[in-house]
Amino acid sequence: MTSGKAIVLPIRYPRELLRAFGFEPVEIWGPPKVEGTLGGSHLQPYICSVVKNALSFLLEDGLDDAEIILVPHCCDSLQGLGSLLLDFIKPKQKVLTFYPPRNKTEAAKNFLIAEIERLWKELEEITGKSPSQQDLMRCILEEEMADRLTRELYMNRERIGLSSREFIELLRKREYLHPKEFAKEVQDKLKITKEKEEKVRLILSGVLPEPMEVLDEIDAAGGMIVTDDTSCLRRRLLQPGTSNRPFERMAERLLSAPPDPVLGCSLEERIAFLEKLIEESNAVGVIFYNVKFCEGEDFYYPQVAQWLKSRGIKTLKIEADISPPLPKQVSQRIRAFIESLGGRA
Amino acid sequence: MRSLIKKLKLNTLKTAVTFKSCWNYLFFDIPKSWRTDILAPPLRIGVKTKELITKHYLEGMYANGIKPVAWVTSGAPVEFLKALGFYTLYPENHGALCGARKVALELCQEAEKNGYCIDICSYARTDIGSALSGKTPVGRLPKPDLLVCCTNICQTVLYWYQVLAHHFKAPLVIIDTPFIYTEASLPDVEYVQKQIETAIETAERIAKRKLKFEKLKEVMRLSKIATELWLEVINTGKNIPSPISAFDQFIHMAPIVELRGEPQTVDFYAQMLKELRKRVKKGIGAVIKEKKRVLWDNLPIWYSLKLLSETLAENGICVVTSTYTYAWGELAPMIDPERPIESMAKVYLHPILNRGTGDKLSLMKRMVKDFRLNGVILHSDRSCKPYSVGQMDQRAKIVQELKIPAVLIESDHNDPRAFSEKQVLNRLKAFMEM
Ligand code: SF4
Ligand code: SF4
Repeated sequence: MTSGKAIVLPIRYPRELLRAFGFEPVEIWGPPKVEGTLGGSHLQPYICSVVKNALSFLLEDGLDDAEIILVPHCCDSLQGLGSLLLDFIKPKQKVLTFYPPRNKTEAAKNFLIAEIERLWKELEEITGKSPSQQDLMRCILEEEMADRLTRELYMNRERIGLSSREFIELLRKREYLHPKEFAKEVQDKLKITKEKEEKVRLILSGVLPEPMEVLDEIDAAGGMIVTDDTSCLRRRLLQPGTSNRPFERMAERLLSAPPDPVLGCSLEERIAFLEKLIEESNAVGVIFYNVKFCEGEDFYYPQVAQWLKSRGIKTLKIEADISPPLPKQVSQRIRAFIESLGGRA
Repeated sequence: MRSLIKKLKLNTLKTAVTFKSCWNYLFFDIPKSWRTDILAPPLRIGVKTKELITKHYLEGMYANGIKPVAWVTSGAPVEFLKALGFYTLYPENHGALCGARKVALELCQEAEKNGYCIDICSYARTDIGSALSGKTPVGRLPKPDLLVCCTNICQTVLYWYQVLAHHFKAPLVIIDTPFIYTEASLPDVEYVQKQIETAIETAERIAKRKLKFEKLKEVMRLSKIATELWLEVINTGKNIPSPISAFDQFIHMAPIVELRGEPQTVDFYAQMLKELRKRVKKGIGAVIKEKKRVLWDNLPIWYSLKLLSETLAENGICVVTSTYTYAWGELAPMIDPERPIESMAKVYLHPILNRGTGDKLSLMKRMVKDFRLNGVILHSDRSCKPYSVGQMDQRAKIVQELKIPAVLIESDHNDPRAFSEKQVLNRLKAFMEM
């Protein structure tokens, strides 16, 4: 059952639901290699480049063949973009919205189930299809399988020995690949065993690592992203659900997400999560790679960094636009940071 | 006295402060120094505004240990807290006060010194700077026993209150309000209602008392009356000349935000309405030679009220009203004191910032028509993304469809570093010539 492509904006949505309707979700995190000018005719300069580039991309008719655009309302800027598309720009594709709740209570779960149901009905109307509960459950299980393999990949990150860029690129294929294709690629990589290399072990924190050249810089300086605390990857690594009712199971999964500022997590939760990542990965430093004008990351940074400092973990904060090229000054700071931790001089 | 002024300008206060000693230094100056050759004399109610707000902050100084204290967002369903006897503090209003007293910059810099990025909303930076340094122009802020954050104005408050919760080690209640575009759905209302019910339980634990339903209904009734009166106050601007300007509204809106649900707020706005009606009868306009009438969109520029008000008045322009002040009145009909919790859920889902950009344009168009306006000034507020996203399209539509001039001015409501006087005045000049 195919329905074509679905453009999906960051960050959280029930992927399996779109797949059950035969859509191929293609996530648009920017994209980075887009001129932000078109977006700039609707958005002020203080709106982040993820949102601005996404709008430029849509205005340039990027992914013209997509049938729907899904805008999860994950932050004020994304919410604003959703509203702009619906109220003013009115693209030819149908624009759908999705609101992930900002807490994890029973009330939030019930709301989320209703929100998923709303989306389901809208998709039924658009496609004229009504997938069976079995179809939906199959799609859920496929996503859960992809999550399990992703977890395995994180656990075996050192053994398979990919560069930071290769590792993150592989994980980010989930943004567009079918879970089965993604699983195949991950399984192939999991077969690799490489000799352990002496690298400076780092955690990458933030929304997303764009431009990806930032990862090349890390590798070149003798660093290695051993794990991440990013919205596009680890903060979206969900647990399997327990319910046999598909809507409820999707809600359970979404609510199982690790702490992320956009979900309104507490500082304590974020700190505990980072502590877990540090223990798992033996990281010695954290690079906070923040998208300029992304408030969520900016608010949490001072207290999280202070805690890391108290644990003897070194931190580097970088603020950048997602569009290439990576500023020279950023490269220099990355190199200096890794060097100070024992990387290549 | 001089040393007290200095201390109060921006300091932690170590000595006891009396109402009398606070009087001259707290909150906005009654705009007595504003030019009366182009503007009407300040509203007499200004004395009362100052009195109410002074008393409010003074009470706050000594609230800890006497009353439970809650810090709340401006759009929080505060009525149940009032009914439980909480003293409520509004960090955003405190931020506005700091802006108007021109001390926000120093407080923002305190936050920045501690690692908070300059791109964070300037209300939040002002408040965090104040919390970290203990500096405030009101002498001292009470410590929160509870934090209540409602996301119906922005997601910024969600992050900001997590920072406060960590800093003060205070319990935080989040009331998450899904974005509704135009009207809330049943699941939206049920979700918010459930959260309010849980919030009440938490507040009861902290206050060590049970919420009396009758008391809550009474607070809701007072909220409704005050909100209706505030709307009537704003609506006096439909008269030509308008007896009130948006600048007056910015100054006198503090009680409807901070003291909602209290009898004194009802009296205050009833008195204000009376004064404005007298002005209408006598044909007194807020701008003496009112030639053009315009709408303000978004937050005020707190540190520049006088400059903007006088510059526009010099050219016979009265900024009659604003979407921002109107937001505190437009939902009055939705408040139902007989069904307080459900009604709170509904009302607090519908503020302007929780509705779509298209809905905001419709409101602006309605206001242009109802208030017989000739133009719109849209303040593109660097700090407030939810209010500002959409303004470029809204401006274009206003010009195209209403055939009236509309100008976008770039600034920040509390951080003067984002305000270029020259640029703003140039844009306003061009706007005034249209
Ligand atoms: S980078 Fe931050 S502000 Fe921009 S879309 Fe992502 S979460 Fe929102
Ligand atoms: S000014 Fe805007 S961003 Fe700041 S707290 Fe108010 S609504 Fe939120």
